[in-house]
Amino acid sequence: MSTVALNVKNLSIWFGDGAERKQLVDRVSFSVNAGDATGLVGESGCGKTMTAMAILGLLSTTGAKVRSDAIEINGKDISVLSAAQRRQILGREIAMIFQQPGTAFDPVFTVGQQISAVYRRHTGGDKKQTLKAMLESLESVGFKQAGEIAATYPHQLSGGMRQLAMIAMATVCKPSVIIADEPTTALDGSSRALILQQLERLRLQSQTAILLISHDLTVVKQVCRNVMVMYCGRLLEKTDCESLFSHARHPYSAGLLSCIPRIGSTRPSRIQSIPGQVPQASNLPPGCHFAPRCTRAESRCRESIPTLDADHQGVVACFRPL
Amino acid sequence: MNRFTQHEKPALLEIRDLSLSFHKQEHMVIDRVSFSIEAGSTLGLVGASGAGKSSIARSIMKLEKPDSGEILFKGKNILDRDSQQLMSARQGMQLVFQEPSASLSPRRTVEQSLLEPLNHFKIGDAEHRQEKVLRILQTVGLDQSALRRYPHQFSSGQQQRIAIARALVTDPELVIADEAVSSLDVSIQAQILQLIQDLQKEHGITFLFISHDLAVIRQIADEVAIMYRGQLLEQSPADMFFSKPAHPYSRLLLSFARNLAPQRTVGDSWSLGRGRTRSDSSNACIFTDNCPDKMQICEQQAPVSRNIQDKNQHALRPHCVKCHLYDEVKADET
Repeated sequence: MSTVALNVKNLSIWFGDGAERKQLVDRVSFSVNAGDATGLVGESGCGKTMTAMAILGLLSTTGAKVRSDAIEINGKDISVLSAAQRRQILGREIAMIFQQPGTAFDPVFTVGQQISAVYRRHTGGDKKQTLKAMLESLESVGFKQAGEIAATYPHQLSGGMRQLAMIAMATVCKPSVIIADEPTTALDGSSRALILQQLERLRLQSQTAILLISHDLTVVKQVCRNVMVMYCGRLLEKTDCESLFSHARHPYSAGLLSCIPRIGSTRPSRIQSIPGQVPQASNLPPGCHFAPRCTRAESRCRESIPTLDADHQGVVACFRPL
Repeated sequence: MNRFTQHEKPALLEIRDLSLSFHKQEHMVIDRVSFSIEAGSTLGLVGASGAGKSSIARSIMKLEKPDSGEILFKGKNILDRDSQQLMSARQGMQLVFQEPSASLSPRRTVEQSLLEPLNHFKIGDAEHRQEKVLRILQTVGLDQSALRRYPHQFSSGQQQRIAIARALVTDPELVIADEAVSSLDVSIQAQILQLIQDLQKEHGITFLFISHDLAVIRQIADEVAIMYRGQLLEQSPADMFFSKPAHPYSRLLLSFARNLAPQRTVGDSWSLGRGRTRSDSSNACIFTDNCPDKMQICEQQAPVSRNIQDKNQHALRPHCVKCHLYDEVKADET
């Protein structure tokens, strides 16, 4: 039995109060084991990134209200830490790989300087140790000439290489949890394969727990064993990837799967899509948020909220699962 | 006659030996590329980032100035036209960009953005223009209430619909979609792809669809063209491409797309690089550094593009490959 590295209990995030209240994330609970990868999928605006930012405690300046029973890393609750205490944790025990490496790097420092800064901040190592750790982390993500890469500025690298450098920076202190937010979106096929390969390596070799956030189910399937489907701030289905792809139980999950274009030897007739639009956070329908777009919805779906019920095959929040 | 241009139906757009270079003509961004698109069909232009796909789109719109070559739109070379003639040609072709939020003016309402091309080309009177704007908005699945709103009040999928509406409002014959669905969620991507397919069916619009995503290309393209570091390596009917890709790079791309599984052999040896430089004296094939099927001749002599279409198949569209592996297939050569 592997240990739980990341444990999130009843996380809620909202803006405003009373009639103005916009619920972005609604009582979300999940855990990721060490050496395991879990995918969090959903459309843009569903609260995936907000969940990640809340775990890292990065929402305090945005005016968002965050409530949770606990956010634990290796059993230690980090949601109660002060800002100074939190800084000790970020980068060392939990790190994030951002969607746009171009904006996550500082343009005026070299890649090597920025990776070194993370290491020095957390370990207090001397110059020699820092240099060694920095070069090792760049080598570990597959750069053969680590020294050359370390001396370049972020804009001199291509998108894929920048994302690899980002992974090197996130892993230089060997954190036990990594949150990767859309790490391969906007990358082409060959760069994407490289990045996913590195995530896989981290998981297997360093026993890192990975929370992979993506809108792309095929990417999640490649790296993760477990997957959670999010819609309008709620988890609708929690299961393992294999069952989701072979038998999605929530109508929304099934809809998402049918939207994925596939490469077959004959041209597909017409791509499927989910009818309708994602509702606004300020104007969420009562009951199941997906009910207005759902072909299986009945009256109780529009009135009461289905909860994530555990049964034999994963967990699904639906009154009429498939 | 170049082998990439032997279509039987008249081509709406034909590109002949197009070259474009940056940095004082040193770095070849587009390297003697030729292809053509039949009227009413969709050509999927595929390649990794930096392969020159967008530069081709920009050259067709004359946003770049190619060094040499011809771009024939309805049989006339747009590169040697004066600005007046160019304007009338432009009305027939429109571009849809990758980032809808960046391509719509944040200070203009949807109505103003949609009216602008009509005003620019002086199409119809005020009443007619209003009517056209309303009709196009319905075509892309938005209602009248959208007219007075600003781009930021829409989701990215809706913004892309507006960008498509703006491209279509002048009734163009050719629409160039440059990674038009790449930044969208799968569910919204599916809606936009449906929209494009419906528009093509109803209005017979020709699409040059640029994407790095082969699954999307499978959905939408009649023909596939593969670019690598500025060169066109293969052009093939879509069914042929997805069942029997010919060029080693096409095969690699397809295996990446079919199976994202980490492939150590490829990942370790994959070299990221630039296109040819003009001063480059080597005459090697552009793909030699990464080619799994490299032969001796590949280092010495650049391959020329050949039509490898089996004569017995009577296919309308050619299947052209630029690779020494197909040197012995000379049956179809004239």
